[in-house]
Amino acid sequence: MNHRLNDVLFNVAEETLEKLAFMFVSREYDREDIDYDSIVAASISFSGPFSGNLVLTISTNCVPELSANMLGVEEDETTPDQQDDALKETLNVICGNILPAIAGKKAVFNITAPFIVNGMEDIKKAVEKVDGKGPASVVRMEMDGEQCDIFLYIDGEIPEDFFND
Amino acid sequence: MALNVLIVDDSGVMRAMIKKTMLMSGLPLGEVYQAGNGKDGLEILNQNWIDLVVVDINMPVMNGEEMLSQMRENPGTKDIPVVVISTEGSQTRIERLIKKGASFIQKPFSPELIRDIVKEITGIGGDDEPPVK
Ligand SMILES: [Mg+2]
Repeated sequence: MNHRLNDVLFNVAEETLEKLAFMFVSREYDREDIDYDSIVAASISFSGPFSGNLVLTISTNCVPELSANMLGVEEDETTPDQQDDALKETLNVICGNILPAIAGKKAVFNITAPFIVNGMEDIKKAVEKVDGKGPASVVRMEMDGEQCDIFLYIDGEIPEDFFND
Repeated sequence: MALNVLIVDDSGVMRAMIKKTMLMSGLPLGEVYQAGNGKDGLEILNQNWIDLVVVDINMPVMNGEEMLSQMRENPGTKDIPVVVISTEGSQTRIERLIKKGASFIQKPFSPELIRDIVKEITGIGGDDEPPVK
């Protein structure tokens, strides 16, 4: 796993969560896997100079706050649909910002619509990708005592340039 | 004069955020119309007087780039100011949008940037302080 890629992914995730949803995260370097029993996940795919997908997993407890902060309302005023929407849009913004950070500003990517992954088994499948190699990057974070992990999968190789400049 | 605004984004939460940000910036908003894709956005444009269009790029059915192109080909909508607010980070694509006369704001955005760009392209002032509720 590439440490520089992890740093870039963390920086983008941190900035997005802070600016978009006023959620403040800290990085956790040696925590165990997220607790699959109490999380929701969203996934988004991209294609371009390289293709792959990005998976965001977050403690269920954090999601009402995420959506409430984005909407500027109280947590109990948000609907389950809005909570899913907020999670998907957050992932969408992280994805849109991480790709040029890796491939440069000239690269053109197509990003598919993000979707929610439901159920522990499907989340595990999305995250572990038993069929392929492991993620190119994983970042584990903590927010308000809850957990949030992001997994970046890349099909093929990461552009050489990324390691040079 | 109040601005009639059309906000087009496939995320309802994002549409609400953009609307809230514009209200808080003290921009004089009239009617605020919303659509979840470019096709529905064009339909609203054809039926209503709109002063400003805010549009996302990645959307199902019809994306924002296609919507902008169709707006520019129609004499009734070709001069309406357009702000693209998107996660798009590709300079190549952003330049293509700017050539079609759109302004560009990348997500996540700051409220000040939205206010300043809207003021600039519409020539309509907004207060620096949020309006008294
Ligand atoms: Mg979108």
